[in-house]
Amino acid sequence: MSTAIQENQQPFSAKFLQFYKDRTLLAILLSLFAVMFVYGIFFTDNYLTLTNFKAIIRDAALYGIMAIGLTFVTLSGNFFLLSLKETASICGVTFAMGMATGFGSPDLAGNFMVSLLAALSVGVVSGVIQGYFVGMGGNPIVVTLGGAGILYGIGAWWSDNLVINFTRPHDAEWLGTGSFLGLPSITWSFILIAIAGEIVLRHTNFGRKVYLVGANKAAGKATGHENFSMAIIVFTICSVCCAFVAVAFVAQMDSAQSNYFSAEFGSSGDMTILVIATVMVGGNSIMGGYGSTLRTSLGAIFIAMVDNMMVLQGFNSGPRIVGVGLMIVFSIIVFGLFAKGSRAQE
Amino acid sequence: MASDPILKITKVSRTFGAIQALKEANFEINEGEIMGLVGENGAGKSTLVKIISGFDSGFKGSYQINGDEVKFETPSQAEGSGIAIAQQELSLIPNMSVAENIFLTGAKVKKFATLNTLANMARPYLDEVGLTDVDPTTRINLLSVGEQHLVEVARLISREAKILILDEPTAALGEAESRRILEMVERLAANGKSIIYVSHRLDEIFKITKRITILRDGVSQGVQQTKDIDVNKLVEIMLGRELANMFPSKADHISDDPKIEIKDLWPDGVLEPISFSAYKGEILGLSGQLGSGAGEVLASIAGALKSRSGSLTINSENFLPKSPSQAIKKKIAYCSSDRKKDGLFLGRPIFENLTSPALSSISKYGFNFGSTEQDYSKSLAKEFLIDVKRMFDESGLLSGGNQQKVALGKWLSIKPDVLLVNEPTRGVDVGAKSEIYQRMRDLAARGITIIFASTDIQEITYLPDRVITFYRGMMIDEHRLENIQTPTILKEITDPFNETNL
Repeated sequence: MSTAIQENQQPFSAKFLQFYKDRTLLAILLSLFAVMFVYGIFFTDNYLTLTNFKAIIRDAALYGIMAIGLTFVTLSGNFFLLSLKETASICGVTFAMGMATGFGSPDLAGNFMVSLLAALSVGVVSGVIQGYFVGMGGNPIVVTLGGAGILYGIGAWWSDNLVINFTRPHDAEWLGTGSFLGLPSITWSFILIAIAGEIVLRHTNFGRKVYLVGANKAAGKATGHENFSMAIIVFTICSVCCAFVAVAFVAQMDSAQSNYFSAEFGSSGDMTILVIATVMVGGNSIMGGYGSTLRTSLGAIFIAMVDNMMVLQGFNSGPRIVGVGLMIVFSIIVFGLFAKGSRAQE
Repeated sequence: MASDPILKITKVSRTFGAIQALKEANFEINEGEIMGLVGENGAGKSTLVKIISGFDSGFKGSYQINGDEVKFETPSQAEGSGIAIAQQELSLIPNMSVAENIFLTGAKVKKFATLNTLANMARPYLDEVGLTDVDPTTRINLLSVGEQHLVEVARLISREAKILILDEPTAALGEAESRRILEMVERLAANGKSIIYVSHRLDEIFKITKRITILRDGVSQGVQQTKDIDVNKLVEIMLGRELANMFPSKADHISDDPKIEIKDLWPDGVLEPISFSAYKGEILGLSGQLGSGAGEVLASIAGALKSRSGSLTINSENFLPKSPSQAIKKKIAYCSSDRKKDGLFLGRPIFENLTSPALSSISKYGFNFGSTEQDYSKSLAKEFLIDVKRMFDESGLLSGGNQQKVALGKWLSIKPDVLLVNEPTRGVDVGAKSEIYQRMRDLAARGITIIFASTDIQEITYLPDRVITFYRGMMIDEHRLENIQTPTILKEITDPFNETNL
């Protein structure tokens, strides 16, 4: 009994830190938002306009959705899916093929549902296969790097490295360029997926298991939650998110090419780095077990804000990529400091 | 005393947070002497060893070598004064040759040396530890574990260590290999080295030491001349008497209604298939030292360790779990011995830890809204005397004792029929220990069958209703209720075949 009483008094500082950590990361992010915002208002032309804010959220939506998918992978302790842009690439090619040729049967050409399902299925298959190898004990970095090569290669081979065009009007315009109640469809998708992700993580068994397995794989196994099925599911979720983004992007461009997500995409060159940056800037633990999709969403908006301001200030893509890199480094340092200060781990 | 001690420790204390690991402990060793260091788990042996070898500098008290006061900040400083330690886990590089491993730090070796040069240099050290027949150019991983231990010691001697600490060198070894280690120890002592021999194997202690230092709860119980005492006396000093009170009283009788029958279970680390039964509402103890197979049997019942053969019968159903999740479905809970490794989710809140094995049973269609989970979690916490106010704290912030309560308490969430516990109170302070024992007894009274494995001799004597003893992978004997006696058990888990003549 005596031990219980002692402990009530002893870890006050620990409790304080615990409270502080949860709030501080968020506070840092929010104050950075504020600083950016104020700076934007005073020093950047055309910043404080509705159009510009819509543009920011729209940018954030594309890699935000992929980052929410990746959050599941990272939270579950499986590090990263490094084949993000390659998965998007092959799914984009698949979708465009469906829209342009109907996969060889002219009746299906331009059929949105068939093309969408085909693209999502490619995402599911690549996610399941990569998740299977990781679940069997493969190193996620190695497995998904291998997957990246294979997926990109297949997409490039299949499309002969050509741009696949399909002409407007087509059935996917509503997703690519359409809007609803003044917000682009892709922005709505981002909001809905972010809410769904948060509900899954907080209020379902699966969400809890993601955290538990991420916090300690061995203890997860001992309590009946194995990483094998976990890896398959989280990699599939992530790949499907990639597929969805690819479909939306291809629908917007009316065309697809296998290197769209390496060079043409957005402003910051490499999609994979951008998405990983989003997860890290949001303050999710790189080792798993700590974080949320809400953090990731905020990270996406933050990166989009910084990027947008740099565009308006007239920076070209080089310095903007440097900016993203600096944000990753900064967030890792901040997170590392706070994680160390508060956790009573070995 | 003829000569002054080469190493002398007086009134050394060491605290870790609220736990006092050493209380004014004394220790000394003469030149060319073999000093045994014994004590039960948690008595402070490893703390003392760490202080002597320079791994731990945060102690109070006096530490003298050859009469001079010393204070080591790092292990390498201690090594400079001729003190070296051979840990239980070897620090050899498996793919390198014996000679390269001996001269790993490069001290005393020329900038460019061929393997032949090294081999010639290594020869005398290998001879000294009794590896006369081993070629110094052999790769380390081709040697047996016992030989690797000897190489490790040869490395220490090559750095001119005068005082050697051997921490359980024979824990993972068979009889023949152990004998080689003992021969080496005696040879080194004859050559003038001082050896601190830490071991749970009392037969070895009696065989090779002249004097024995006994630690109990961080206090040194004085130095005993080996020839003056016997095993019983030693155990009595090691355990003390008053501690028997912390155990709840045993059951009146053992039910004859078998709850779980274990048939021909044969995991790694066990020599022959093992069969036994556990009855409804009893506490069954599996007693054995490290490497005896008791813990392995427990893990394989829970599906955490593969078994080559065998089956379990529970509620007249026959099966063999291949993973912990299969065992959990059959209401078999298993609390492992290493809570930090696979017992707790340290970074997650306590309430999540408590419900972790039972997620599917407390949610509706996989969803978990409202306060159902937290209410359930709180009831478990109350039952196990965990502070309900701290439910949302990370479990990693708790003390060892409370962590163990969470690690154990989480298994109540699945309402188990059989509860398996490996080392129920490892690294737990005395207060939490008695709470855990009391809870285990209450659960057994409620009809849960508890099987636990322990290397703690008190625990195994006073807690269970029935004890099965293990020695080096073999099942030795079974004792019931009042027939559970410390000397008998100690004999059976250290030397059941009279290999030594005490």
